[in-house]
Amino acid sequence: MALIELQDVSKLYGFGDATTLALDEVSLTINKGEFVAVMGPSGCGKSTLMNVIGLLDKPSHGQYRLDGKLVSRLSANQSAKIRRDKIGFIFQFFNLLPKLTALENVALPLTYKGMSVTKRLKIASEMLDRVGVQSREYYLPGQLSGGQLQCVAIARALVNNPQIIIADEPTGNLDSGSSRLVMELLAEIHKMGNTIIFVTHNPELTRFATRVVYMHDGGIIHDEASTIGRVATTARKVLYTIPATREEDDLAGVSLLMKALPSKSSVAKQPVIKVKKPRTIKSKAKAK
Amino acid sequence: MLGFGLGSNIKAGISTLKTSKGRSFGIMLGIIIGVTSVITILAIGDGIKTQISGQIHKYGKDIIIVKPSQLNLGSTSGAPLSSLNILSPLTYRDINTVNHVNGVSASAPVTLVPGTPKGDYGAYHQGFVIGTSASFPSLINQSLAYGDFFSDSNNNNGDEVAVLGQTAAEAMFKENVPLGASFTFHGQTFVVDGIFNTFDSTPLSQQANFNDAIFIPNSIAESFTNNTAPTYEIFARSTDPNQAAITAKNVASALDVAHGGSSNITVNTGTQDLASNNSIVNLTTGLVAGVAGISLLVAGIGIMNVMLVSVSERVREIGIRKAVGATNRQIRNQFIAEATFLSLSGALIGIILSFLIELGIRLVTSLTPIITWQSVIIVTGISLLVGIVFGTVPAIKASTKDPIEALRAE
Ligand SMILES: Nc1ncnc2c1ncn2[C@@H]1O[C@H](COP(=O)(O)OP(=O)(O)O)[C@@H](O)[C@H]1O
Ligand SMILES: [Mg+2]
Repeated sequence: MALIELQDVSKLYGFGDATTLALDEVSLTINKGEFVAVMGPSGCGKSTLMNVIGLLDKPSHGQYRLDGKLVSRLSANQSAKIRRDKIGFIFQFFNLLPKLTALENVALPLTYKGMSVTKRLKIASEMLDRVGVQSREYYLPGQLSGGQLQCVAIARALVNNPQIIIADEPTGNLDSGSSRLVMELLAEIHKMGNTIIFVTHNPELTRFATRVVYMHDGGIIHDEASTIGRVATTARKVLYTIPATREEDDLAGVSLLMKALPSKSSVAKQPVIKVKKPRTIKSKAKAK
Repeated sequence: MLGFGLGSNIKAGISTLKTSKGRSFGIMLGIIIGVTSVITILAIGDGIKTQISGQIHKYGKDIIIVKPSQLNLGSTSGAPLSSLNILSPLTYRDINTVNHVNGVSASAPVTLVPGTPKGDYGAYHQGFVIGTSASFPSLINQSLAYGDFFSDSNNNNGDEVAVLGQTAAEAMFKENVPLGASFTFHGQTFVVDGIFNTFDSTPLSQQANFNDAIFIPNSIAESFTNNTAPTYEIFARSTDPNQAAITAKNVASALDVAHGGSSNITVNTGTQDLASNNSIVNLTTGLVAGVAGISLLVAGIGIMNVMLVSVSERVREIGIRKAVGATNRQIRNQFIAEATFLSLSGALIGIILSFLIELGIRLVTSLTPIITWQSVIIVTGISLLVGIVFGTVPAIKASTKDPIEALRAE
C-alpha cells in the first residue's frame, strides 16, 4: 500500500501580489521502503514538498494521505504526534539545540513521548553508537564537526524508530567525505526497511536512491526509477558534462540537468536566471 | 499541568539561568526583593507583637491602663514619651478620679517632669524625670536591684527621694549602687533611695527607656509645675483581678463624668490593650506587607517581559522542538516551567536573605523578628503563582509559533 499519497497538492505562500506558488498541484505516491531522491533548482519547492510530507506544513489545496489516513486537515497537536512517532527529520543545517549535549539532542524526541530520563538517555546513547559518534555523547554541537553534527542529527531522527526519514539537503553543508558517510548511514537505515526521502543537488548521490524525482517551479517534471549503486539515468547525463561535482558546481549542474531532461523545453530556458540564487544561499551557509 | 517532563523543563530553566545570568538575575531580582520584604516585615510585626504581649504579661492581664485616646503604639510597653500621645495628656485631676473609683486598689501615674537633673558628673540630659506613686513597681511588676521604692508617706509628705533606672544611675554617678547619693533637680536636693533592675526594653520604646528615668514622688512633680506636668499614662489595679474589665469600665465612666460627660481617654485592661495593640501592629504590618506583595506582582510583569524577549530569541529552538514532535502544550509547559523555576529560585534566595536579615536584626537591635512557616509558605505560593501566571503569556506566544517559520528564523 502506498505510504505517502499526495493528490493535487498545492502550497501558496503570501497574499495578493506577493503570492508564491511553492507547490503546483503535485501528485506523488511513495511506497514503503522506497529511497527517493528529490532534485531540482533552488526555489523549485523541494523543501516545501518535504515540509508538507513531514507534516511541518499544511497544503493549501489537495489531499495528503499518510498510511492511508487523510492528514492534510489534522490539528497542530495531532500533526505533532505523528511527526514524533512516524517521521524523522534531517536538515541541511543540522538544527541541533546548541545548549544540549549530543546525547540530550538525540533524546529530545523521546522527551516528548514522556519517557523517563534514564530510559531515553540509554536509547539515545545506543543510537549514537549506531551512527558512530558515541564517543562524542557529552559534546555540545559547537564542539563537533559538520559530519559529526549530521550523524547526531540522524541519530535524533532515528531515535523514535520512525517509518519515514525526511532529509532536506542532508549533505548540503558537508564535505565529500562526510557526505559519503551520511549517505551510507541513510543507505543502512533504508536496508532496515525505512522509507527515505532526501533532497540533493549532487547527481552522484542518486546512486543511493531507488527513485529520483525532478522538480521545477513547484511541479514534478520527471520521475524515474533508479538502481542502487548507479547514478540515475537523467542525472548521469549531467554528471558527465561536468568534470567535478564539487558544491560550487552543484547548482549549475542541476540547471544543466534541466537541459538534459527528455521534454519540457520551456524549462531549458530558465537556467541563467536560476544561477544567481544559489550564491546567496551559499554565502548564508558559510556565515552560519 | 506541569507534570510533563518537569525534569527536563527544570533543566531548560537552569540552562536559561546559566546562559543569560544577567537576564535571569533581572527576572529574579523583583521576586527576591518582594519575598525578602514581605517575610521580613511580617517577621518584624510578629516579633513586636510577641514582645508587647510579653510585656503585658509581665504587667498582668488585670492591669488597667488609662491613657489619652490616640494612636499610641508605645505606651503599654513603657513608652510614655512617644511623640504620638503628646497632644492631650492626662492631668492630676484624672489621677485623683482614677484613685477614687470603687474597686481600684492601687494606681500610679506616669508624669513627665520638665527639667534636667544634675548629678555628680553634671547635667544628665539624656535622662528624664517621672513623677509617680508608691504603687508603681508593684503595678508593672518591676523589681528593684538595690534599696527601696519610695512609700506613700514619702509621696504624701513631698519627700525629696528618688529611684533610678540602671542607666541613669551609671550616667549620673558612674557607679552601680549610688544609694544615698544625691542630685539636684529644680533647685532641690534629692537622695537616691533605690535602683531598679533593668527594664526590658522594647523596640517601640527605644527613645523612652525607663532605664534612663529618674522616678520621684508625683506630689513633688506637681508642686514643681503647679499641677501642669503632663501625665501620659495611669496604671491601676482592681481589688479583684477577675473584675478588672468591670473596674476599667467604672474608671472610664468616672473619667467621663469628671470631664463633663465624655472624655478623650481610653481605659483598657492588659488583655484589651494587647488586643488593640495587636490590631494596630497587624494593620501596619499588613499594609506594608501588602505593598511589598504588590512588588511581587510588579516582579511578575518583569518576568513576563524578560520571558517574551527570551521567546523571540529562541524561535529556532521552538521550531526544532516542534519538528521532533513537541506539541503546542508541551512547548507552553516548558516555558511556564522555566518562568516558574526562575521565580521560585528568586523566592528561595529571598527566603534565605530574610533569615540573614532576621539574624542581623536580632544581633543589632533588641527586637527578635519571628519568621513563621506560614509566611514562608504563602510567599512561596505567591511566587509560584506569579511564575505561572506571568509565564503563561510568553509561553502561549512560544507554543503557537508556526514550526516552519520558526525553523526559518535565524
Ligand atoms: N514561508 C515562506 N513564505 C513565503 N515564500 C516562501 C516560504 N517558503 C518558501 N517560499 C517560496 O516558495 C518557493 C519554494 O521554496 P522552497 O520549497 O524552499 O524551495 P527549494 O527548497 O526547492 O529551494 C520559493 O519561491 C520560496 O521563495
Ligand atoms: Mg530547500
